[in-house]
Amino acid sequence: METIIVGIGNPVLADDGVGLKVLDRLEERLRGRPGVALTRVCCGGIHLMEAMAGYERAVIIDAITGGGGAPGTLYTFGPDDFSQTRNVCSSHDASLLVALELGDAVGLPLPGDVRIWAVETEDVSTYSEVLTPAVERAVPVVVERVLGDLDSGQPRASRRTTE
Amino acid sequence: MKRISINPITRLEGHGKIEIFLDADGNVANTYFQVPELRGFEQFCVGRRAEEMPVITNRICGVCPEAHHMASVKALDRLFGVEPPPAARKIRELLYMAFFVTDHATHFYALGGPDFIVGPDAPPAERNILGVVRKVGLDVGKQVIECRARNHSIIRMLGGRPIHPVAGLPGGWSKPLTEAERQTAEEAARRNIEFALFSLRLFDTIVLQNPAYVEMVHSDTYCHRTYYMGTVDERNRLNLFDGRIRVVGPDGHEFATYHPADYQAHVAERVEPWTYLKFPYLKQVGWKGFCDGPESGVYCATPLSRLNVSDSLATPLAQEQFERFYEALGSKKIDRRFTPVHHRMATHWARLIEMLYAAEHMLELATDPEITSPRVRNLPQAVAGRGVGSVEAPRGTLIHDYSADSNAILRQVNLIVGTTNNHAAISMSIRKAAEQLIRAGRIVEEGLLNRLEMAFRLYDPCLSCATHSLPGAMPLVVDIRNHSGEYIRSIRREG
Repeated sequence: METIIVGIGNPVLADDGVGLKVLDRLEERLRGRPGVALTRVCCGGIHLMEAMAGYERAVIIDAITGGGGAPGTLYTFGPDDFSQTRNVCSSHDASLLVALELGDAVGLPLPGDVRIWAVETEDVSTYSEVLTPAVERAVPVVVERVLGDLDSGQPRASRRTTE
Repeated sequence: MKRISINPITRLEGHGKIEIFLDADGNVANTYFQVPELRGFEQFCVGRRAEEMPVITNRICGVCPEAHHMASVKALDRLFGVEPPPAARKIRELLYMAFFVTDHATHFYALGGPDFIVGPDAPPAERNILGVVRKVGLDVGKQVIECRARNHSIIRMLGGRPIHPVAGLPGGWSKPLTEAERQTAEEAARRNIEFALFSLRLFDTIVLQNPAYVEMVHSDTYCHRTYYMGTVDERNRLNLFDGRIRVVGPDGHEFATYHPADYQAHVAERVEPWTYLKFPYLKQVGWKGFCDGPESGVYCATPLSRLNVSDSLATPLAQEQFERFYEALGSKKIDRRFTPVHHRMATHWARLIEMLYAAEHMLELATDPEITSPRVRNLPQAVAGRGVGSVEAPRGTLIHDYSADSNAILRQVNLIVGTTNNHAAISMSIRKAAEQLIRAGRIVEEGLLNRLEMAFRLYDPCLSCATHSLPGAMPLVVDIRNHSGEYIRSIRREG
């Protein structure tokens, strides 16, 4: 199954960039692995949808604020929860759900299987290239979980089953 | 005093917020537009090498990195006292025009368009780009996606990386344009012109031929007689990339024109106790509060403002549309220039005219024989100490101002981002919209959220150029509180 792994966030806004840090590690671990591509995107909505076009499975790694857990807590979301993470929507164009529907409507080959991993943040309002300690500690944990999930190859409910 | 708060719902706490305070009679006393503070940008930059800035600053914002990259590179030209060769200037501008086309197209079809094409009172679930596609046909959706794809591919080709260009260097550009690349850009420009014309025809059919929408454009709700700012060339024609900054008064007379490096002589920043946002105003007029008119230093820098400061547009098809725009909106000519249009809803139309201009100018650049010259870099020889660079970002005049020591280590950094120019105007538009909807304690709940959102959506604010979750495509809550601050009720909309 062709998989795209997307790290999303702002790399100079402290914990907002956690998805990009996870992607850096995954890039090292997945180097040379067939069927897996990795990419970084800076904003959600239509742009994020476009980044997933052409793949059967998408794994998105983002930051979250107000998810309820302590900083560093990891959550996974499916299609119904897209608006909950920090960057998957764009206030400049569309939510990810709308963007995906648009992509489907115009015939882009979008993944049926989309999973979002989100890390609870502590600080997303200070310009910094460094994560806060709790979020930094979560990075290897997220990496292992994402890798484990990739390897398990468990088929999940398709994004389109609700239609 | 009754207090109404509009927040993105809890899980997005800490992003944009609108608060409305009512007086004892239940009329709007004041409205406050707030965003969280992002701390430490200056400290983040000071001490770094100046040449890192085009890549760092384009990380500030995921939406307009190209604008930051260009303003930054232009500031570095000055800081290092080096002029880029003509081909480098043209390649920069070519990339920038591709960016303008895609950004304006996306805004129109995804944000501005839905209010007109689907309707301002349509359910929020339909008032988005999908609603537009359902209304005017699948082909429009395909065209928007194709427009984005071809222009992003031009940006990648010229800038060395998709979205976040890396090719800008002080004194030029890191790689010349090949003939094959030039042809690709030319083809994209031609298709951009077609798409811009198509979009203007669509606007014509759906908006201008619908009396209800024409009335909405003309309504007093979104009308402010402010000063306007934009960049013009030596013949006072719109220029999105380079030139002098021109300011015109509410009556249309030129108020000031200056080199971007002199911005501090013309613009001052007002700080208010209730927000971290700064409110720039015209220094020589003065700050008189959130009000319009010739006595108030509030100005606006948007697509509409840029047309208002221009005598004409430099490309033929856009010029035709420019004239049509002012004639249709009842503007008269003084000093060879149309008097300003103050109706802020016309910004959506102005944006499409700018898109056509950018597409036509992109074609001019792509067919310029000089653009494939291999000479794209002049090497910096010394550090000048200070460098100011500016461009017209889609959301307003963008200024990067750097000071560095003799080793080009940054000592001071100041940015005025496009949206910042419009903070006062945005607050005024929100207030006017609220006043229409809340009178004598009667709150028109129907459409309240969207009418308020429309007030700031037309500016497409990019707040702090880094917060991602503003009311817009986001879920919203309006909390209405009584005099004691207790909840009366809550109006909620899921995103």
